[in-house]
Amino acid sequence: MKNLRIFILSFVFALSVSAVKAQGPIPNITDYRLDFTVAGMKGDSIKLSSLKGKVFLLDFWASWCGPCRYSNKQLVKFYGKYKDKGFEILSVSLDDEKSDWKKAATKDKITWLQGIDQGGWDALAAIKWQVDAIPASFLINKNGDVVAINLEKGELEKKIKELLELK
Amino acid sequence: MKKILLLLLAAIICIGGYSQFSKASLQASGLTCSMCSKAVKVALEKVSFVKEVKVNIKSQEYAITFKENADVDFDALKKAVEDAGFSVASFKVTGNFSEVNIQTDKHLQLDGKNFHFINSGDKVLNGEQTFTIVDKDFLSAKDYKKYSAATKMECIKTGKAGSCCAKDGMHANERIYHVII
Repeated sequence: MKNLRIFILSFVFALSVSAVKAQGPIPNITDYRLDFTVAGMKGDSIKLSSLKGKVFLLDFWASWCGPCRYSNKQLVKFYGKYKDKGFEILSVSLDDEKSDWKKAATKDKITWLQGIDQGGWDALAAIKWQVDAIPASFLINKNGDVVAINLEKGELEKKIKELLELK
Repeated sequence: MKKILLLLLAAIICIGGYSQFSKASLQASGLTCSMCSKAVKVALEKVSFVKEVKVNIKSQEYAITFKENADVDFDALKKAVEDAGFSVASFKVTGNFSEVNIQTDKHLQLDGKNFHFINSGDKVLNGEQTFTIVDKDFLSAKDYKKYSAATKMECIKTGKAGSCCAKDGMHANERIYHVII
């Protein structure tokens, strides 16, 4: 039984590492192979590695992705609850059209950091992070390390609390 | 001499008709959002005669371009989608034709494949034409029902030539694609 658990755990670990194929045991946002810059809402730009020092969720989505829009609703709740405690989100839209992205972001009430990397699956950020389905989310700790991938709601909240050292 | 050859070639093309498929447009569906996964695109790109796959989010379609002069196999594309965990909801193929005579419920060989036109009427195809494949699993179950009721010929159920097709010069069990224009 114990062996089985170790086997499953090591399998899950191998999966999560291969999802972000950076060398070394833990992928880090300062690695040039993972770092990217996306266009922000007001002509500004956001560089991923500039978020180092924050606990944040890197979330890939698109306006045409129904499950992503549902996930945004959850993120609005999380953000409201934890933003004052130091939690941040960077949403990266893979929309082709900026207007689609802006419309959806406004409708979903996204008030956190967000940018667009046009081009769908061929967008550079999506390629670097090997995003092959959306929504895709990566939880990053203060060191810039990827600590979890695609956590469901309950697990995500638990992990955010842990990283923010909240009780 | 050269002129004669050209004339001969033109004559052959006229008699036999000319047809070649160049691209397809496919919609995938499934229990989850099919566009939200890269799986269908990747699976289609792996098919040997596929040159390029572009995702059109607005029309929810995969635009597939075939390699030039490749032997295309529509069943292989369907299988790729199914192996990726989705199903085909719509499948249109486009090709170039020259003096191809078609008739409703008549079997015809085009680009090495057998076709059965469900609702075409008598027509001569010239230039770029698009067919929609209405065989089972190439469209929604509801649409399949609609089109399979449109012909009395048995082959729409199996997608294969029956004994009745022998008069069209076809062997039993040969694949026949059922299409509408």
